[in-house]
Amino acid sequence: MTTRATMGSDAKPGAALPGAVALLGWILALLAPIYAWTVWKAPLDDVQGVMQKILYVHPPLAYGAYLGFVVTAIAGGLFLWRGRERDDLLAIAAAEVGTIFCTLMLVTGPIWARGAWGPGNWWVWDARLTLTLLLWFVYLAYLLLRSFTEGDERAARFASIYGIVGVVLIPLNYWIIDLVGGRAQHPENIERGSLGPGMGLPFVVGNLTLFFAFAYLLLLRWHTAIEEAGRVNGEEPKDAA
Amino acid sequence: MNVALALLWKDLLCEWRSRDRLVAMIVFSILVVVVFQFAWPAAPKEQTEALAPGVLWVIYLFAALLGLGRTFTLELENDALTALALAPGTRGFIFLGKAAASFVLIAAVQAMTAFVFALFFRLDWLDAAGGLALVVALADVAIVSVGTLFSAMSARSRFREVLLPVLLIPSLIPVLASAVRATAATLGGEALTLAALQPLVVIAGIYAILGFLLFDPVLDE
Repeated sequence: MTTRATMGSDAKPGAALPGAVALLGWILALLAPIYAWTVWKAPLDDVQGVMQKILYVHPPLAYGAYLGFVVTAIAGGLFLWRGRERDDLLAIAAAEVGTIFCTLMLVTGPIWARGAWGPGNWWVWDARLTLTLLLWFVYLAYLLLRSFTEGDERAARFASIYGIVGVVLIPLNYWIIDLVGGRAQHPENIERGSLGPGMGLPFVVGNLTLFFAFAYLLLLRWHTAIEEAGRVNGEEPKDAA
Repeated sequence: MNVALALLWKDLLCEWRSRDRLVAMIVFSILVVVVFQFAWPAAPKEQTEALAPGVLWVIYLFAALLGLGRTFTLELENDALTALALAPGTRGFIFLGKAAASFVLIAAVQAMTAFVFALFFRLDWLDAAGGLALVVALADVAIVSVGTLFSAMSARSRFREVLLPVLLIPSLIPVLASAVRATAATLGGEALTLAALQPLVVIAGIYAILGFLLFDPVLDE
């Protein structure tokens, strides 16, 4: 970590960031019990039973996974443009949080599939599943590239480039896999009114909660990374919120 | 543009004198063909023909990875990469020169492999050779574009032999998927339509532009 100094010590924690982390933390602490309560109280699906409740977790995780990738690419692009360490630290934070969301999505999906499609049906090579799996590999490759590249400034530059290529891969892969004949077995996105009575509220609360969880984890990780970088650069660490 | 041509000429000349990468890739490809001979189920001819495009592209992919991994090893000696980065002009042209040299090398190995493959598995590909060459050329533009970009990054990393495939394979899945489909159509005797080639043209175009534009920060030190 000693080479961090070559990037300049622009990674000073701003005053707004700790405040934002605290605010998001409070919102999340408020939302989480409401989320758990609404999911608990949501009616059981006639056909799928309790398995259907994965719906309140799985799609919101997907949005976080994709959002993480977009933030990684934008922050990486900003780093290449301005060379500010803060942008790179945001890119790493987004990649790490995105990886967690993507992993959880890949775990919850097959659990639902096994329940809905019958024993043995953990996985199908549907366009959306294949794309998500590839996205997960791109995330892993991004993190491996960072840890295998010597020199923090160089690692940041290479990772930024890979992040930009990675985000281009999302629509490209989806188009090709769909074209080549991935069977569309994955349920279509929820359309207005397609949820049963009483299922809309937990779904909306689930999306909100996991969005705030994503934002909270992202900013928390970003803030921690900035603090760490400041310490390595020989600055006095400032107090968090 | 002169930088690109000079680099292309330099790389091909070095390769011609040493033949390191060429020989290694050809031997590797033929060995994998032989491996598949033993892994392949005893199947009727129709089944062999159905499997052939996919197997051929798996061999192409791994041989390309082998070659691309050594794109910048020569430049690492005596810090020649820094000298290259200092060359006047847009660095995208350095990318073009390196990618073009890899293209020639990989295409030569692929032609050789296809010949041996058809020979060993008793497939008659002579009529489809033109179509196959077009499909392979388009896919190769995509492969060497991202391959050169990522190779320049992985060459200066630890575990570069492992890192390059990990970086490259996810981005080559769309290339592989569309190339296998187009190859199967060509070998099956269908005329190559623009619709069959469209995915490869789009991917090759996007990857070449990305490589040209993003190569500049790779060489920054």
